[in-house]
Amino acid sequence: MTGSSGPASMGRAPGFVGATLAVTRKELRVYFLSPMAYVFLASFLFLGGLFFYLGVALTGEASLRATMSNLAVALIFCLPLVTMRSFAEEQKAGTLELLMTAPVPLGALILGKWLAVLALCGVLVGATGVYAGILALYGDPDPGVLLTSYLGLVVCCAAFSAAGLFTSTLTRDQMVAGVGAILLLLPFWLSSTVSSYLPAWAAPVLDWVSFLEHLRSFARGVIDTGDLAWFLGFTGVFLFLTWRSIESRRWR
Amino acid sequence: MIEARGLTKRFGSIVAVQGVDLSVGARGIVGFLGPNGAGKTTTMRMLTGFLPMNEGSAVVCGFDVFEDPLAVKARVGYLPETPPLYPELSVGEYLTFTAEIRGVPRAVRLARVGDAMERVGLRGFERRLLGSLSKGYRQRVGLAQAIVHDPPLLILDEPTSGLDPAQLVGVRALVKELAADRVVVLSTHILQEVDALCDRVVIIHRGRIVGDGTVTALADAAGAGAWTELVLASADNDAAGRLAGLPEITSVEALASDGARKRYRLRGGPGHAVAVSALAAARGWPIEALVPHRASLEEVFLALVGSES
Repeated sequence: MTGSSGPASMGRAPGFVGATLAVTRKELRVYFLSPMAYVFLASFLFLGGLFFYLGVALTGEASLRATMSNLAVALIFCLPLVTMRSFAEEQKAGTLELLMTAPVPLGALILGKWLAVLALCGVLVGATGVYAGILALYGDPDPGVLLTSYLGLVVCCAAFSAAGLFTSTLTRDQMVAGVGAILLLLPFWLSSTVSSYLPAWAAPVLDWVSFLEHLRSFARGVIDTGDLAWFLGFTGVFLFLTWRSIESRRWR
Repeated sequence: MIEARGLTKRFGSIVAVQGVDLSVGARGIVGFLGPNGAGKTTTMRMLTGFLPMNEGSAVVCGFDVFEDPLAVKARVGYLPETPPLYPELSVGEYLTFTAEIRGVPRAVRLARVGDAMERVGLRGFERRLLGSLSKGYRQRVGLAQAIVHDPPLLILDEPTSGLDPAQLVGVRALVKELAADRVVVLSTHILQEVDALCDRVVIIHRGRIVGDGTVTALADAAGAGAWTELVLASADNDAAGRLAGLPEITSVEALASDGARKRYRLRGGPGHAVAVSALAAARGWPIEALVPHRASLEEVFLALVGSES
């Protein structure tokens, strides 16, 4: 029975990279054909413009330090708009069955979806390049600091989208997945705010949990390997949980 | 094409499929028949590698579903009960995507997509959005994605459910055509569909296979085999006894008679109709009708399912 007859075109798996990119292309196509991507971009850029103006006008310094941490917080609320549909909708529409019965490794499926969210974030981060342009036009910003600030924003996108993908695997309901992602991300923002009210021993732990603390070095123009590792670890953990979640759903 | 042994699937405490053995050769249409909730979909999902089995094993297209799922998936075309479509995409975009994830090489992708559309009657629909298609055309797109990589095995879960009569005829004809050069396994709860399409029927009830074979073989096994209706315009009173005395006849059952006319339900081996007409001629009974009846699938199904419960 091995090697059943058939034309040369059949019986191949697309390969990991090919499958990943096919999924990414499909995701991006669906994003830009549905209103969600535009709602995400518009809401984020509105907030971004506001934060940029306030940040520069209030501090009077030609840097994106304040803007970036505010934008990162805005991502907590905007990025779930994009990630909430990714697995929830596939489960609801039954298209997950298509993807899971095609010769696509689960890792390629998850990576493909994550890369699509990241590409959308790339459009967004690219659009905020206007701020850097304005700073360069009217002030004298440090280009190195600008670059690391942007890198900080990118690693935030990577981490938050992984968390968003994870909550999207837990339910067939997009809204639940979206709100779930926000609720999941909130502690990683608020923990440093809470830390000042808690006993001294707890403060460093809570600070460590907060992404804002890890974003500081990027805003200062430093790439701290510990902080970078925090974001990459966060991303890795949630991509892994996404994988585990889908695997375990098959058994139920 | 399929060698499954002892397939079992449990959802919590519910046993959806229990000890299903199935062997499917290299040609033909096999129908999974059973009421809703019998375990047809679950069995198909295990064969396609969508659901892992709790027990048992399945070798599909020469590869073990559990050990080598990607190799199996590359060789199977699958249409779930609801066509898995993205309403935002156009027919062409969607089929190109499904060809990509099925590993159709770039060089032949366009040709394969065009060929699949041609075969299911979607020519000229390339730019139509999937969300705007009628149910029958969605089903066609679903079939097109299942054959875009030209798989030797096609698994179709209720391919005609929810279609209107015209679409139904179209899809059935299409399935028959697709089966010319591949194996098709389809599920249905419509008996006539199996009768019209399938070379072989596998009857599933409460997660178990209760019958497997051709409709005729199943009928014999279920004791609901073919019978002959005999109507005599007039006959002697001992006609039933004389009929039963024929060596070719195994059973005689008198049916309601009106006046002199007598009706019988006869069962017997080959040539029994000839023997009956010879007897009637010899006795001077005018035969009004001698009609062979094939057991309907309904009778077979009820006999099998009835014996199970």
